[in-house]
Amino acid sequence: MAHVPTANGTVMTGATSLVKSLEAANVDVMFGIPGGAILPAYDPIYDSTIRHILVRHEQGAGHAATGYAQVTGRAGVCIATSGPGATNLVTPLADAAMDSVPMVAITGQVPSVAIGTDAFQEADIRGITMPFTKHNFLVTNPDEIPRVIAEAFHIATSGRPGPVLVDIAKDALQKQTSYNWPTSINLPGYNPQIQPNQEAINDAAVLIAQSAKPIFYVGGGVIKANAARELLELAQLLGAPVVTTLMARGAFPDSHPLHLGMPGMHGTVAAVTGLQKADLLITLGARFDDRVTGKLSTFAQNAKVIHADIDPAEIGKNRYADVAVIGDVRETIKALIPALTAALSKGRADISPWLASMNKLKATYPLGYDTPADGALSPQLVIERLGKICGPDTIFAAGVGQHQMWASQFISYEKPRTWLNSGGAGTMGYAVPAAMGAKVGAPDTTVWAIDGDGCFQMTNQELVTCALNNIPIKVAIINNESLGMVRQWQTLFYDSRYSNTSLDSKRVPNFPMLAEAMGCVGLSCESPADVDATIEKAMSINNQPVVVDFRVHRDAMVWPMVAAGTSNDEIMIARATAPDWDSQEL
Amino acid sequence: MTIHKLEVLVENEPGVLARVAGLFARRTYNIDSLVVGPTENSKISKMIIGVSVEGHSLEQVIAQLDKLINVISIEEILDGAISNTKHDTQPDYQN
Repeated sequence: MAHVPTANGTVMTGATSLVKSLEAANVDVMFGIPGGAILPAYDPIYDSTIRHILVRHEQGAGHAATGYAQVTGRAGVCIATSGPGATNLVTPLADAAMDSVPMVAITGQVPSVAIGTDAFQEADIRGITMPFTKHNFLVTNPDEIPRVIAEAFHIATSGRPGPVLVDIAKDALQKQTSYNWPTSINLPGYNPQIQPNQEAINDAAVLIAQSAKPIFYVGGGVIKANAARELLELAQLLGAPVVTTLMARGAFPDSHPLHLGMPGMHGTVAAVTGLQKADLLITLGARFDDRVTGKLSTFAQNAKVIHADIDPAEIGKNRYADVAVIGDVRETIKALIPALTAALSKGRADISPWLASMNKLKATYPLGYDTPADGALSPQLVIERLGKICGPDTIFAAGVGQHQMWASQFISYEKPRTWLNSGGAGTMGYAVPAAMGAKVGAPDTTVWAIDGDGCFQMTNQELVTCALNNIPIKVAIINNESLGMVRQWQTLFYDSRYSNTSLDSKRVPNFPMLAEAMGCVGLSCESPADVDATIEKAMSINNQPVVVDFRVHRDAMVWPMVAAGTSNDEIMIARATAPDWDSQEL
Repeated sequence: MTIHKLEVLVENEPGVLARVAGLFARRTYNIDSLVVGPTENSKISKMIIGVSVEGHSLEQVIAQLDKLINVISIEEILDGAISNTKHDTQPDYQN
């Protein structure tokens, strides 16, 4: 529905000014819970064209805003009251900061005269969230509300996206003010560079043309910048192998012959080794995270680095960049294509032996898993079948742990914004509310949460929200009755001493009954023979959320693995089993 | 240990000192000295920050500081004089 613009100069309360400002910022949905300090804002929300979705916990509101943002590319909006309402947003804000998600969080604050007095439901949420918001505001003057909201959305969605929090004192919401939506943004200390430096582009093109072992190291920035199509063109122009990080799954089609898979701690042998042995990393919107590099001093030791990122502070933070290209990565790739075409026309290194060795690795060490001899259900099988049956248009949102890694590994992602997860922060409980937000942002698309039994028990209350608000998501609980990834580490590094990782979730709770109690359809599956039929049953239900309890065996482990703090050269394809390097020429 | 002096112009808004101090603390940069004062423009304050960059590059400290929305500009003071090279959002890409 189109918003009717409000004339500047109109007199209204600060609360109405807030809602008019959110409408002017083209907000169509927000997730939240009212409370004392934010209550004045909820009165005009009652009349607004903005859809407000009443969640059951503020953390759910925050992750839903993230899911919405990840799918639509627009800022997700969440709203909460002061004190505990605001602090419950802390985890989703930290999560959004780590994964560069555009989000605007609105919180009520105690009246300005009470700030600093330890008043009822007072928390210094601006102070608390300074380290992991891109910026935050405390508003005590109602006249500032439109300007601050405009700036918040500008900051959240431009440059490197991120969360912005706007804390508004209750009296600022109650007082009369004159509404004035700004015609321009004036932030003297904020001017992100969008267009890359042409000299840097040319230097990058020359380095690429000279490289005999180049590799594209693609990060989540490529998805943020909507640069998947440009990346495909660039990769095919050079014909070099591509790896996509956990945040970049879907930025480059998994089915493409140049794709080596995901690098990092649980990456494919080809992707991990490709980065290690390359002579040039063409780094696009990635940040050399420790889960990708392994032990940093041994990472890609013979490689030069081209580092393209919109955030200048990422350049040289973890790894020296031989050529840094600061700017929007889509603009960077668009500039790089003609520059590289020109450089290649003057002569290029032969990359065919490199490509052949990577293809050999890819063929020799595909992802796989063991099927238990006793006929028990494998978690990887469930996830693989979900991907196959639901297809490449489906959006998958994962929690954090083993199921997340398998969902990244065993589903083929062909399109950007079809894979959502908590990559940087590793927030258990992300999946259900993020899937809810994703479904709100893409109501005509099938959205599956792939969750663990541990994760699911952290935030499943939002299924009530889904059931009541016609948000028919589907949830696959990969129930191994354990905190599976922690258990895996206990198996590998703590002598199989399973301290506090057994959840007994095959006994309690009864997930299908819990789902039914929350207004969802509850299904269960324990046999490999029933997996396809169960998924198809879930796919046939579109008027209600569906929860499937996939009761899988608990001893499956995520492989390959580079143990934390070790070199990527130490990659293992199974317990105590390294790739057979002697048969590879790298 | 090398100590660099940075002249940092910031918006004169509540919480700016906390943002700068918090950034240095959480990224384990060492503040050797800190002076904050007004400028002729009441909307802008000036900070002189002495930073020892052992273990970190000066470029990284400046780049992280520059990400603070309220930070307007950062210049290094060399031998008591402000350097002619203004640090802006794009460091020399070959550095």
